[in-house]
Amino acid sequence: MSSGCPPQSPAVAKLEVAIEGECPLLAATFAYWDNILGPRVRHIWAPKGDQVMFLSDGEVTFLANHTLNGEILRSAECGAVDVKFFVLAEKGVIIVSLIFDGELKGDKNTCALSIILPQTELAFYLPLHTICVERLKHVIRKGRIWMQKGYNIISVLSLEIIPIMELLASMKTHSVPEDIDIKDTVLNDDDIGDSCHEDFLHKAISSHLQTCGCSIVVGSNPEKVNKIVRTLCLFLTPTERKCSRLCKADSSFKYDTGLFVQGLLKDSTGSFVLPFRQVLYSPYPTTHIDVDINTVKQMPPCHEHTYNQRRYMRSELSALWRTDSEEDIPPDTVIHTDETFTPDLNIFQDVMHKDTLVKSFIDEVFMLKPGLSLRSTYLAQFLLLLHRKALTLLKYIEDETQKGKKPFRSLRNLKSDLDLTVEGDLNIVMSFAEKLRAGLHSFVFGKPFYTSMQERDVLMSF
Amino acid sequence: MIGSPDVVAFTKEDEYGQTTPDPWASIPEEFSVPLHPLADSNPWAKTSYAKFTKDFILISEFSEQVGPQPLLTIPDDPKVCGTFDLNYFSLRIMSVDYQASFVGHPPGSGYPRLSFVEDSRVVLGDSKEGAFAYVHHLTLYDLEARGFVRPFCMAYVSADERKIMLQFEELSLRFSQASECLKAGNRRAFAKELQRKLQDLEYTHSVLQKEEGLQREAGPQSMYSAHAVEKANELANVEKSIYEHRDLLKQITSYHHRPRRDPHAVTCQKCMSECLSECEELLDKYAKLAGPYSYTGKVEEEGQIEDEAGEDELEEEEEEGIKRRPSYTPQLIKAKSAKCFDKRLKTLQELCDETFYEASVELLKETERSFRGDLCYLHTRHLDRVLRRKQRVTNFLFEEEIGDEDEDEVGTIRPFCAVNHTVDNCTLLNPPPIVLGPEPPEESTDPLDPASETSQTLESELGLVDSRLESSPSDLTLETQESSEETKGSFSSGKSGIKQNLAGMKSEAPDPDSDLTPDPDMERESSSDDMETTAGEDEGENGGDQTPVSLLEVVSELESSRADEGEGVTEEVCDIESDLLVPIDTACCMAQEGFLYEASAPEAAPHLGQSSHMQSSQVLVVNQEPQALLPVQDDYTVGSPCSESPAAGLELPVGPLADAVSRASVEDGSDCTMSASTGSDRAASPLGYGGVVTLRQRKKAGQGALRFVRQYPFAMQALWCLLSGRTLVVLGADEGRVRRLVSALALFVPGPGKCGERVQAWLCCPFSLTDLQRWKLIGLQRVASPVGSSMLYSLSRYSRYISILDTDQKTLRCPPYRGQLLANIADHRTYIRRGSTYFLHIQSTLCRLAAKAFLFTFTHHLHLPVSSTEGPEIVDGRRRCFLQEQLGLGEEDSQILLYLSQLITQQYLQPPTGSSAAAPCFAFNYTTSVLYKI
Repeated sequence: MSSGCPPQSPAVAKLEVAIEGECPLLAATFAYWDNILGPRVRHIWAPKGDQVMFLSDGEVTFLANHTLNGEILRSAECGAVDVKFFVLAEKGVIIVSLIFDGELKGDKNTCALSIILPQTELAFYLPLHTICVERLKHVIRKGRIWMQKGYNIISVLSLEIIPIMELLASMKTHSVPEDIDIKDTVLNDDDIGDSCHEDFLHKAISSHLQTCGCSIVVGSNPEKVNKIVRTLCLFLTPTERKCSRLCKADSSFKYDTGLFVQGLLKDSTGSFVLPFRQVLYSPYPTTHIDVDINTVKQMPPCHEHTYNQRRYMRSELSALWRTDSEEDIPPDTVIHTDETFTPDLNIFQDVMHKDTLVKSFIDEVFMLKPGLSLRSTYLAQFLLLLHRKALTLLKYIEDETQKGKKPFRSLRNLKSDLDLTVEGDLNIVMSFAEKLRAGLHSFVFGKPFYTSMQERDVLMSF
Repeated sequence: MIGSPDVVAFTKEDEYGQTTPDPWASIPEEFSVPLHPLADSNPWAKTSYAKFTKDFILISEFSEQVGPQPLLTIPDDPKVCGTFDLNYFSLRIMSVDYQASFVGHPPGSGYPRLSFVEDSRVVLGDSKEGAFAYVHHLTLYDLEARGFVRPFCMAYVSADERKIMLQFEELSLRFSQASECLKAGNRRAFAKELQRKLQDLEYTHSVLQKEEGLQREAGPQSMYSAHAVEKANELANVEKSIYEHRDLLKQITSYHHRPRRDPHAVTCQKCMSECLSECEELLDKYAKLAGPYSYTGKVEEEGQIEDEAGEDELEEEEEEGIKRRPSYTPQLIKAKSAKCFDKRLKTLQELCDETFYEASVELLKETERSFRGDLCYLHTRHLDRVLRRKQRVTNFLFEEEIGDEDEDEVGTIRPFCAVNHTVDNCTLLNPPPIVLGPEPPEESTDPLDPASETSQTLESELGLVDSRLESSPSDLTLETQESSEETKGSFSSGKSGIKQNLAGMKSEAPDPDSDLTPDPDMERESSSDDMETTAGEDEGENGGDQTPVSLLEVVSELESSRADEGEGVTEEVCDIESDLLVPIDTACCMAQEGFLYEASAPEAAPHLGQSSHMQSSQVLVVNQEPQALLPVQDDYTVGSPCSESPAAGLELPVGPLADAVSRASVEDGSDCTMSASTGSDRAASPLGYGGVVTLRQRKKAGQGALRFVRQYPFAMQALWCLLSGRTLVVLGADEGRVRRLVSALALFVPGPGKCGERVQAWLCCPFSLTDLQRWKLIGLQRVASPVGSSMLYSLSRYSRYISILDTDQKTLRCPPYRGQLLANIADHRTYIRRGSTYFLHIQSTLCRLAAKAFLFTFTHHLHLPVSSTEGPEIVDGRRRCFLQEQLGLGEEDSQILLYLSQLITQQYLQPPTGSSAAAPCFAFNYTTSVLYKI
């Protein structure tokens, strides 16, 4: 491979990161297009220790430069982050590059933040692609501000590169399998209430579905936690399961933004501290399930969650913009530095809306004999029903609004026509539809919500 | 708190004048995130700024003469690309230096080396243009190109980035197939080109050698003229060139032996081995020639070089047995440069063998079709299939057939060849067999079959599946199809007899236009429906609908799937059945069966090895039921009450409503021969049924169903009749109207069969009791003639068993329905606007009904006595209690579930060998019918 490599830049700095377990990431790089020298690599992050595949620094540099080829033609809008995804069979690697513009040494440059994995990890990586990209995109936003101020972007990028390495390593060992054996779940119990209280199970599954299948399960007993994690994952698609993580038996993983279901172990004091910012940055609202005390709490619905998330992001970026010193990188402390923004920290609330869909499913599925495929079949029928209802709802709104050209004003008709008069049922089906058509909640429910938020802000400003 | 223009617009719209100052106004918008992105105000609008209307495939080349250039788009319609700048986009996607591998003369190497590079896959986009692409880079060989390579790429261009990333693996698989196909064709073409070049060089060498010899003889012994030196150099160059080209031939031959670095490459063993053998043959040929002097002898002997050399070459080749159809006459070339004969670059078509090129383009067209449409529809359809695969036991009730392609999705990457695929399509233009599932039993009894099947398997393993017209399992299916058609023909001409039919089966070419031509009325309806569906839906329907739209596709899919699976369909069906039978406990069903069909319990268990019995019964059915075309194709068992165990088919259930249900038998007012004369030649055609009912057809029917629900306030009663197993007769004088209505109502017929065997769309003659047992929905012609009076007589005779929907009078005669279960799908005040949306709504509701029926059927304690003292009445009471209290169903709603449960039980205990249409029990009750009017 080295035969075709250009001479390595002497200025490439490298940071070796100690990662627990096997990290599938070969390296991460930051490169930029130098107006005189062409593509240059500025920094390499590489996991420390033995790896399945080894890339020399020269090879990493070659690949990193490679990602910028053709970008001289780039005509994106200022601030846009474009994603390029390479599968280079000739080199046996996959590269994910985020291309953006940034100011280096007073010049506007095209930059690329890339992660490199072996091609053999393609199937492992693809379901996690969106998570990685969204997280990297946000750190790039922060990095661009840092570059604008003339500070070193590397320290900002490291804030997300290292957690992503850790995420991928943890997913390698603890991701939920694509096919879950129903025997490993609560749904295999002889009778409802054997493993957990009937109402708790109903509430957990209902809330889990209302929050788009995004849940965190905390507890002190890893087996109990994992059983609930697997149970919740039964209601996800195979791809979503690959974005879910079981809890570790001995110590807990950190909370990771973007996973669908994750099991987290409480510490010896019986508590688990959730990072507010990371939870808020999750693409969907989250259900919080505590298996020790059988509580289920949920975040506000999608449109509220997205609104809160964007406000927090804006607050964070604004705080960075106002930072005067390179030393003051506020990763999770924006909240304290910005007096104008006081987010509602009490984001997890009780599950308010009851449903009939999950209730009847839970009641009925335990009537079928366990140990056979009867319950799996019934579960498949239930999921099929939900997916179809979601598509019907989506199509209904599409027809009513001429694909979003007109505002949607017939929620009441929708509820009666599609048999979604129970609020919990509507929430579940809307959540499924939101995953199919992002922004649906905001489109349907957003307007009154934004108006009320504006009113609140006006009142608070007095 | 105004932070973005979106909010300003929003507040203006609301006339919400007072706004607070944005505390983060100091940060430029380009460094922040919008508080209200476009997707919030319109989730459908995120791709609207793309300059093209639909996704398309673009093939581009990095030309060494003009740089990146687009070559062709699929579909080849300028409207698709709109004002999108293909030149610029080609430049963008081809400017990725994807391989950076060395080509040409490596340092220190004597000969030019061919570079065998693996394909690269890149997803990239142009956010400003709103265009994103999956780009598959490949390299083809061209003797006249720089470094012998021509870089190409095939790109799937879409406005939706997520669509590409979510389907990356499938896109990669399909484009790899197309790429391998192109490359296989290119290697062949390259080898042929090398062969021609070597001939030219050898011929030139011989000419030069001769000239040099003459000069040497003419001049003094130790003196060389400048001309002679020049000739000698030229000769040396030609010799060098010959060695170089021989080496290239050797290299291209070694292509197949190199280890593949790309784990995702999809190669066809047949193409590989064919190409390899061809190249090796060529290599052998040129290795046999001792040196580049082989032409000398011949030239000297013949004297007339230019005129006769070609003929000699041809003779020589014939001797060597090398097939080169267009004979090639070697040409004298100037041996200055081996690469500068003609600088016109070959087209992609010329670079690849014609067959391979066409196959690749076909494959790409199919790819474009299958990825057409909105992501959410594609995604849901995929999930839908995955979930339906897990519930095979109830799919027969309301779901369309899960095709073979669905199995493909599950499988991993398999050897695939587009060429063979195409060959299959070409050679199987005979009337395609309708694929109904397992093979008929004759297959195993055919003496030719074992051998053919074995060879088929071997061929499949090797990818040698292009010539399977003889003795492949499909033939048998095809014969079956023919037989049914022939049978029908013989009835119409007054002839009968199985022997004659069988003879005709093998000799006559089947009629491709038989029953499969869509009804003109239906077509009109389809087109009108098309206008009503949304664009997104249309996209999804048109391309996304994976269900074969024509029988040709059915065949090709069948063939390809067979070729791939090798083992034939029979085994697969066994697997399906075993899947179905093993994991689910039969105890409850058996018990229920015992209750439902007490008399038939011993025969209720499936008999898989009863082929001889089946055959004899088939003969009977073929003779007696000419209009039942589809059951005939279906291995002759389903829908043929005479052939089956009478208890299973005709004994009336003694179910929970035993008091209200009576028993009937075949003899009761019916005979089989009578129904034979009632056949309509169009029996199978009207709904577009007669082939597998496609999702598209069902969606079209959804429009009719919505119209029906809106038009008739008593629609709910009609639907209840269908769902509870009471035959509904749609009576009318206007054939088109009746057919349309039948096709709409067919959506609600439980277990209609893969090809709608339970539905008779148009009947022009009286029907019998057997017909009522077989058909659950009948379109009946109203005629004012003696025939008409006998039809009315049959209607009044069987009126207690049937419901009659009169389309002329707009009335419905049926028992009253007071349930709630159907209120939601038959509300004439519904605000659902479109048929396609209503179809989705029906699908959800029917899916829920099927789930409830499944629950009822397989809940053990409902059907089994808890103790030995419990009699059937107690168990029956428990079931009633379950339906009423647990599921909250009234009397009429319970009947729906009971009927569905019966069908499931029957389907489960007697898995049909060829059809999904379960023969339902013939049941009726004595509830008084009511006449509903608009």
